[in-house]
Amino acid sequence: MSETRVRAPLHGKDLVLAVLRWILIIFFAVYTLFPLIWLFIASLKTNYEFLADSPFSLPAVPQWQNYVNALKVAGLGRMLLNSVIVGVAATVFNVIVASMSGYCMSRFRFNGREQLFTLFTAGILVPLNALMVPYFVIINKLGLYNTYGGMILLYCAIGIPMSTFLIRGLMDSIPMELEEAAYIDGCGFFGRFFHIILPLSRTGIVTAATFEFLTCWNEFVFANLIVSSEKLRTIQVGIRYFTNQFSTDYVSMYAAIMISIIPSIIGYVLFQEQIISGMTSGAVKG
Amino acid sequence: MKLERSDRAPLWAFMTPALVLMLVFFVLPVIYVIVISFMKWNGINTPAFVNLRNFMLLFRDKAFKRSVINNVIWALVAGFIQVPLAMIMAIILSRKPKGWKFFRTVYFFPQVISGIALATLWRAIYRADTGLLNALLNSVGLGHLAKDWLGTLSTAFPSVLIYWIFYVGYYMVIMMADITTIDDSYYEAATIDGATDFQQAIYITIPLIRKTSLLTCVTLASVMGLRQFEQVYMLTNGGPANSTSTIVLYMYKKLQDANYGMASASAVILIIIGVVFIVCIRKIFEGRNEEAAALKKAGRAAG
Repeated sequence: MSETRVRAPLHGKDLVLAVLRWILIIFFAVYTLFPLIWLFIASLKTNYEFLADSPFSLPAVPQWQNYVNALKVAGLGRMLLNSVIVGVAATVFNVIVASMSGYCMSRFRFNGREQLFTLFTAGILVPLNALMVPYFVIINKLGLYNTYGGMILLYCAIGIPMSTFLIRGLMDSIPMELEEAAYIDGCGFFGRFFHIILPLSRTGIVTAATFEFLTCWNEFVFANLIVSSEKLRTIQVGIRYFTNQFSTDYVSMYAAIMISIIPSIIGYVLFQEQIISGMTSGAVKG
Repeated sequence: MKLERSDRAPLWAFMTPALVLMLVFFVLPVIYVIVISFMKWNGINTPAFVNLRNFMLLFRDKAFKRSVINNVIWALVAGFIQVPLAMIMAIILSRKPKGWKFFRTVYFFPQVISGIALATLWRAIYRADTGLLNALLNSVGLGHLAKDWLGTLSTAFPSVLIYWIFYVGYYMVIMMADITTIDDSYYEAATIDGATDFQQAIYITIPLIRKTSLLTCVTLASVMGLRQFEQVYMLTNGGPANSTSTIVLYMYKKLQDANYGMASASAVILIIIGVVFIVCIRKIFEGRNEEAAALKKAGRAAG
């Protein structure tokens, strides 16, 4: 909506609506932020303060020690590292594969192309949780149960339809003339991919990579399914075990949860545009 | 670009990795669950064909029925309460009130935090002894309402269901993107005719997004409602007395018991319910098609 829109001064019904509007805006913001802030403040209290004082009171002295405890007791460092290893590897493989398939599906007409589109779209819509059993069996059959490789392969694979969709979408917007000129100059299939299409699709690739990494980072169901070793636990699987480890040490448990949330929030604030466009463009067009 | 003969081999070479992954992790698994749903299999023995026995067992199992009912409630609440809330916020924020970017960022937070972390946070909030909810109730003099929210039969499922209804960021952003494409001239004309903001939303914005982003969001939200796992797994693990179970949780438990046949059969039912939901929602929204199409057409003619 343009900013030049003429607005009459508020009175009567409009005023009521304006007040209602702000009540809603603030309600939803408080609803989202308040629990997070509560958790953060609780994570800085002592256990005594947490149990005895009002939930709205601030700690006398912020107990950053709780974070150190959480890192030590729960082995969060290792879990964060696992999540980074799996997330980065899966994302790299995923965008490489998706760039290649995106290039083919965007720049060429060939037999079976329409069927491929249908297959990839269905891949975005299928409820992956329903495929738990076959995924469990496949990963086991490949001998990848309890390995980084199993998680990386599975994450890379389940993100292919979405990443291909995002990258292809951007490649579609690159003018054909650019490529045709290169073709006339004798630039082959690979040359055009590496020298023209790939550099020009950077934004689409970054969006897909951000989206894929976030998906990997937050994924729980399959990580829980195909890994049982403590050494390979990702941060999300780790959270499940916090509650037992910190049965009475509430504040350290809350510190541990904060540690698992903070990277997502920082990542989101840094890559906000990519994340939002990745998450919405798939929905709007799909 | 036309496919040159010399490009054919490299093209298929380039497509192969994606194709192999799609076959192994999408096509094969879907066929697989369908086949195994007719088998009795513990993962070790040779699967034995048992016809519809797994499905019969499912329909006789109270826990499964409860899971299906919960999922259906969940999908309906998501599609017809959560999404309308998101739509209201999308309409409000797309008018760009002060600080709208900040609010959009905040509303979207729950979408980037993992489901499991959110569930853990809410478990802390619902706790009987140290939970935030009971503390809030006590502080406003409603202490008699305080209870063990997740351990009480009557409040467990509503508690698991409700907290996430107000996380509207995802659907809101999708609808905002759609609303910004609506031609300003509609609103200008309506303002000149003296239509209030409220009337503009009812008669212009909603009909115009109904068939596009609103339909998408209702579909997505319902399908998400059918897939629920982390929330229940983390908050209640289906208890008390299976009152909060969902199909995916049920499936997960059957898988843990190495009952692959029944786990697959519940997966098949989940997929079928999903398809039914998608089709029904389309039907509901299609009734209004002509109206919106006519309005869009009029807009194009006017523009």
